Amino acid sequence: MRDFLALLRGRIFLTLCRLKGMNVKIGRGLRIYKRVSISGAGRIEIGENCIMAGIPGDSSQYVCLETLNPAAVLQIGDDASLYAARIAAKFRIVVGNNVLIEEAGIMDTDYHSIAKDRGTPASEKEDKCRVTVGNRVCMGARSSILKGTTIGDDVIIAPGSIVTMSVKPGSMVAGNPAKMFSI
Amino acid sequence: MSIDKIKSLMKRIIENPGDVLSYATGLFRGLGYLFYYKVFRNNVTIGFPFIVDAKVRIIGPGTVTIGKGCRVMKNAFKGLTILTFSKDATVTIGSKCLLGGTTIRCRGSVAIGDRTMTAVSLIQDRFFVHEDGPGIEARRRLPAEKKITLGRNVWLGEDSFVMSGSTIGDDCVLSSGSWCHDAAYQDYVLIMGSPVRSAIPIDKLLRLKGEL
Repeated sequence: MRDFLALLRGRIFLTLCRLKGMNVKIGRGLRIYKRVSISGAGRIEIGENCIMAGIPGDSSQYVCLETLNPAAVLQIGDDASLYAARIAAKFRIVVGNNVLIEEAGIMDTDYHSIAKDRGTPASEKEDKCRVTVGNRVCMGARSSILKGTTIGDDVIIAPGSIVTMSVKPGSMVAGNPAKMFSI
Repeated sequence: MSIDKIKSLMKRIIENPGDVLSYATGLFRGLGYLFYYKVFRNNVTIGFPFIVDAKVRIIGPGTVTIGKGCRVMKNAFKGLTILTFSKDATVTIGSKCLLGGTTIRCRGSVAIGDRTMTAVSLIQDRFFVHEDGPGIEARRRLPAEKKITLGRNVWLGEDSFVMSGSTIGDDCVLSSGSWCHDAAYQDYVLIMGSPVRSAIPIDKLLRLKGEL
C-alpha cells in the first residue's frame, strides 16, 4: 500500500514537472516517500526505478537536488536509492547506476571563495571541479563528497567521512579526510 | 533529607530560578513520554525521573531500556533518536545519563553504561540502514553487525561516530569529530582521530599538564 502511494506520488510529481516546464527528465518507476525539493535552471536527468525517501527518525531531512547554473548538469543512473540525499551541481555531477546515498551530500563547488569578501570563487572551472561517482557506490550517513573527486565502481564510503581526493574502484574509505581502510 | 540538603536546594532555587523551572517543565514533559511508552509500547521501558527538554523518538520493534534519572538535553534541537530494525535488537542505556542529540541505529545490540554524557553523535552498528534494497554486490562484502559497548561515565564529544564493534571502557572521553570502528579501548583514555589513531591515558595527560 505504501509503495503504491509512493508510486502514485511519483507519477503526480512527474506530471507536475512536465506542466511547469522544468528542465527535468526522470525515468519510469519513480517512488517518492517524502517531500522532494528540485530547484534550479540546470538539467537534471534521473534513470528508472529511483527511490526518494527521508531517513527514518529525522523528520527534518528530505531529498534535495539543486542546480546553481543554467549550464549545470546533474545525472543519476538507474535503480538509485536516495535517502535524504543532498546534491548540488554548479558544473557537472554524474552518478552511476545502483547507488545508495543515505543522509549525505555531494557538491562540485565551494559556493564562496576563501578571500575576505567571500564572493564567488573565480578559479573554479568545469574540468577541475566535476564530480564522477561510479556504479554500485554506497554512501553512509553524514558523509560528503567535495569538488573535483572521481569515485570508482563498488566503493563503500563509511558514515561520517569527508571525501576530498579521488578513490580507487573497489575500496572502502572512512574518516576526515577520507582514507582507505579494510576490514 | 538532611537540613544541609534542603539549604543547598533553596540556595539553588534562589540563585537560578530559570534552571529549576526548566527542570520542572522537563519532568512534566517526561511524564507524558513515560505514560505513552507504558500504555502503547510494550517493548520500551523507561525509569521514573525522565527529564525531557527536546524531542524523543523511539522507533522500531526492538527492545529499548532506559535507566532511572536520565535527562535529554537540548543539543542542536536534535533530541534523542533510537531506531531498531528487528525484534532481536536491544538497546540498553544506564541510569543518570545526559542524552542529547544522540542517534542510535541498531540491528544487533547496543549497551551504554551509567552517567554517560553525549553531544550530537551517531552510534550505529552497521554501516547502512537500508541494506536490503536492490541487489548490490558491493554491499554483500560488508561485515555483519557487531555489539557496541560503552562503559560507565563515558563522554562522547560533538560529531563523534561510534561504529560497529567498538568497545569503550569506563571513564573514557571521545574527542569531537572522532570516528571509531571495531576496536577495544581501555579504561580512562582520551580517544581521538578520524579514524581513531591514538588513545592516550588521561592520567598521563594530566601529569603533563601538571594537574596531577
